[in-house]
Order: sequence, then C-alpha cells, then structure tokens
Amino acid sequence: MFLEERGCRGIVRGDSMFEAHSFLWHYLWVAPNLLLGALGGILWRRGVHKEFRTFFVYAWFQAVQWAVLYPIDVISSIPAADFWRVYWLSSLLESIIVFILISDIFANVFGSYAALAHLGKLLIRWAGALLLITATAFGARAPIDHPFWFIPASHVLQEAMYVVVSGLILLLFVSAAYFRLAWNHRVFGIALGLGVSACVHLATWAVMANGGLAEKRHLLDLVNLATFHVAVLIWFYYLLVPETVARKPLVALPENNLAVWNRELERLLQQ
Amino acid sequence: MTLAIILVIAAVLSLVAILGVAITRSLQISSDASLASQIRPVDVEAFRNLADPVEDAYLRSRLPVAEFRKVRRARLRALAAYVRTAGKNAAVLVRMGQNALASNDAATAEAAQQLVNQALLLRRNAAHALLRIYAAMAWPNSHLAAAPILDRYNQLSGAAMLLGRLQNPAVPVRIAVW
Repeated sequence: MFLEERGCRGIVRGDSMFEAHSFLWHYLWVAPNLLLGALGGILWRRGVHKEFRTFFVYAWFQAVQWAVLYPIDVISSIPAADFWRVYWLSSLLESIIVFILISDIFANVFGSYAALAHLGKLLIRWAGALLLITATAFGARAPIDHPFWFIPASHVLQEAMYVVVSGLILLLFVSAAYFRLAWNHRVFGIALGLGVSACVHLATWAVMANGGLAEKRHLLDLVNLATFHVAVLIWFYYLLVPETVARKPLVALPENNLAVWNRELERLLQQ
Repeated sequence: MTLAIILVIAAVLSLVAILGVAITRSLQISSDASLASQIRPVDVEAFRNLADPVEDAYLRSRLPVAEFRKVRRARLRALAAYVRTAGKNAAVLVRMGQNALASNDAATAEAAQQLVNQALLLRRNAAHALLRIYAAMAWPNSHLAAAPILDRYNQLSGAAMLLGRLQNPAVPVRIAVW
C-alpha cells in the first residue's frame, strides 16, 4: 500500500508472497477493510452504532479510505504522487477521528465512576498534550528530503499520530488496571484492537519516517496490513460475540468482629 | 535511526504492557471468588501516629539532624507500607463493589456504588500520598500531610460495612483494625 516505488501494479506473480502487489499484499489490504465496512453495516443493522457512534464512523471511514486509495494505487494511469496527496489528506482526517474515538473510550471507561470522571478528563488532556509535544519533537528530527514533500510528511504524520494514540491507549489500560475498573466488553475490544494496531504501526512508521530499512519497505507495509487485519478480527470478536458473563457469587465479605468494629466506628464518629 | 530505535522499543514495551493488562483482566474475572481473603487489616491508629505532624515536630526538636533524618525515613517507609496496603484493600473493595452492583436489591446496588466510588477515591489518594511520601523520603525535613488519606479510609470502612450488612446481615465485616 504505502510504497514509494509503485511502478509494478496489479497482482504480481512473483516468487515471494511478501512482495508488494503480491496476492498476500492485495488480500491484506482488501480483506480487513471490507470486513470493517461489513462490521459497520452489522452494527448499523443491530442498532448498536448509536452506542459506539465514533467507532462506527471510524469503521466506515477506513472502508471509504480504502475504496479511494486502493484503486488509485492499482490503476497504473494515476501518478504515484496523487496517491500520496490523497493519502496525506486522508491521514489527517483519520487522525482527527481516532482522537475523538479515544476521547470517547476514556469518557466511557472513566465517566461511569463519579470519583474518576474528572481525573479521566485531566488525564486525556494533559497526557494528550504531552504526547503531542513528544510526537512533534520526534517528527521535527525526521528527515524531509524527498522531491515530493508529502511523502516523508505522510510518514512523519503517521509516526506522530501513533506516538499519541499508542501513548493514550497505554495510559488508558494502565490507569484502568490500577483502579481495577470494569470495562464494557465491547469498549475493551475496541481499545485493545486500537492499542495493538497503534503499537505495531508506531514501530513500523518510526522506522519508515527515519529512513530505515529502505530496501525492505514492502515488509513493513505487510506488517502494518497484517496488524490491521488482526485488529479488525479483534473488533469483530468483541463487538459481535456476546460476552460470556460468568455468574459471580455474592461477594463473601471477610469474617470478622462486626460488634467491635461498630463500637469503634461509633466512637470515632462521636469525636 | 536512534530515534526510530527508541520509538520501536517504546512501541514494543507498550504492546507488551497492553497485552499484559488484557490477559490479567481475563484472569481476574475468574478469580473473583477469593477476593475477600485478599483484604489485609490496617491498623489505623498506628498509621495516624506515623502521619502525625506533632510526632514529627517532637522528634525534630529532640533528635540531632542526622538522627532525625534517619528516624523520619524509617517512619516514612512504614507509612508507605500502610498506604500501599490501604490502596490494595481499596482495589479489592472496588472489585467486590462492582460485583455487587448487579444486585437486584436497590439498596445493595446503591451501597455498592457508594463503596466503589469511595474506594476509587482512596485508590487515587493513595497513589498521590505515595508520591508525596517518596518525595518526603528524598527530603526528610519537608512536611507531609497524609491526614486526608486517613479520613478517606475511615469513610471507606463505613461504606464496606454497609454493603456487607446489606448483602449478608449474618456475616460480620471489617476492613480496618482500630
């Protein structure tokens, strides 16, 4: 997908399945996006899209983004530079949607607890700002040395986006674990898929943005595509398979001397 | 490429942490039955004594500076141990409260909600207090206010007791030793 050398188009009957435009490459670009579009459709039909509005928008955006970028990439008469122009623009839109999605996830996880609702807002604001500064600092050091500035700029934008996204998702998981918060099954799945995808994409885009593995870019593309496929499967599982609710026994509170406890508590209250 | 390597390492560590939390979450769901046994009693009186600024002022006036620092650090270490235990108890109570939230009995569900909120506040305050305690250990002459933690713990004990009563009036409950 994200190749700078895009001379060879269509399905390559090469020796390696790991080459660009191989059958595997096409499958990994087409299948997850179609699946995600289908997932959006299923959510709509079941009426669940109202509950996960931003994820629904995200799913459809990804599908539409693919529907635009894939033909541009495959049709040989369209210049490669056009692909990157469209890609750069769609990445910007994607960043905005993903940040709104993460903000919604934070609100869902922390918002149901009065004691933590404010903390959740503070966390996403301050951590988001800090991560954005960090991402900018990393991005500023990356080389922009291509005749078409939007190609390295796209790499840097992706790197910056995934610095923020993976940082926020990590913060979400760690803070929810610290406070032992009970996740909504579906929200957990959305966050998990997003987290796995963001971490792997961060690693690959960091290498690309800093000029690493120049001869093996197609492998990094395949890693990105495969990871996104895994994320889509995670979303499919968590959003469509009902949660198996283990019947929890009534909490057996520790045996102790309630009489003494009561007496001492009353004494404290009277102080 | 150094920046890329730093980011790749950060990405791998983040992925491991996220997957670790996800796996731990699924394991926790299956071990909820043994929650109550995880609660450790906290001697609030001893905690109160350790957190008392008057005690610190007395020690400061009586001991040479070097000796005071040594004693203060030892007291702060003990204080941190109490706060950690209180924080862990709060974490257990969050889960116990969450389990009880689904109760059909409105009073039990309300008590559970109250317990969860108070336990979460304590958990948050415990983290905050630990930061302050560790900072005080670095600068033993600084002042430390841990009283809010104690007050929150008292409230939490009351909420847990109420929930315990509602769920099972026959079983006595205690999360603090007075």
